[in-house]
Amino acid sequence: MNIDPFLLWLESTALSQWVVGSPSLFAFPGILALHAIGMGFAVGICLALDLRVIGVAPGVRIAEMRRFVPMVWIAFWINTISGVLLLIGYPTKALTNPVFYLKLLLIAVGLMLFGRIGRRVFDDTAGDGHAESPALRRLAIISMVCWVGAITAGRFLAYTYSRLTALD
Amino acid sequence: MLRDLQIWLVNSTVAHSPVVDIMRTAWAWPIAESVHFLGLCMLIGCIGTFDLRLLGVAKRVPIAAMHRLIPFGILGFVINISSGLLFVLTEPDQYIYNPSFHIKLLFLGIAGMNAGMFYLSSYRQVFTAQASLNAPLRAKVIAAISLGAWITVIVAGRLITFYRPAPCSAEDVTWVLQCSPGKGLR
Repeated sequence: MNIDPFLLWLESTALSQWVVGSPSLFAFPGILALHAIGMGFAVGICLALDLRVIGVAPGVRIAEMRRFVPMVWIAFWINTISGVLLLIGYPTKALTNPVFYLKLLLIAVGLMLFGRIGRRVFDDTAGDGHAESPALRRLAIISMVCWVGAITAGRFLAYTYSRLTALD
Repeated sequence: MLRDLQIWLVNSTVAHSPVVDIMRTAWAWPIAESVHFLGLCMLIGCIGTFDLRLLGVAKRVPIAAMHRLIPFGILGFVINISSGLLFVLTEPDQYIYNPSFHIKLLFLGIAGMNAGMFYLSSYRQVFTAQASLNAPLRAKVIAAISLGAWITVIVAGRLITFYRPAPCSAEDVTWVLQCSPGKGLR
């Protein structure tokens, strides 16, 4: 399937050209900065939860960490919106690079694990008993590996693309 | 002349540095950047959540218990100082003349002094208090400044690439801090 006509059209839209071409700090640089802030909070809080699950900060009742979940979702939506804007700016660069799909896959698995770990620990009224469960710890470790992979894949997008625009 | 001294200094350090040899191998720079981003996430995930706790999120968590995550935030910070030094030691001109980098350093300093203020002023008070303590106003102000400073550090860091100094020729230079000496001159 040749998606070049779609990529050409997308890159010709006013929004795409604003993201890429505007000299405004709120265009490409601002969107990138938002994407970094969102990453810090979304991935950071997920990592903090994973650390708690593998036994760090035992005085924190895991169930209470659910109070930070809204921040993860706010940050997730900041990054979905800023990510889509970056994708509209450089659709060819991302969509023709397998590393981009790897990044999306790792984020999807990371979020799924966040949900699974949350279901196991957030509605826990009996205390932190099953925080010790090896199965849960395994999920937390896989989750951390996914986030490290997603960050690395994201950074490598700047170095591994084969085409910058549909004209290349 | 100051500028000649500087070019000589940069050349003699960069040209004989093992760090530069490593950082100029194929994937070293992007790997160091990925590590830098991971450190950022650890710092925000541990220090940022502690700040949020002081501001009133998850009030049922004792502040002292929440503080057990702080060493991992500091680990993130150490990871970022180390990986950050790799960039600066490899391409010093790209950073020492970069206004976005200057702002980043400024807010790193503010975040550091602010953290020092916390341990000097509020630490003992919030640590000995009851589990569901509402942090005192002073600690909340410190937490808000901390969040703001770290977010500014992220923004300024991410914008460094848009403020790279242009290389300049010898005739244009009136003051050494105006532009990067440029590879062509070396």
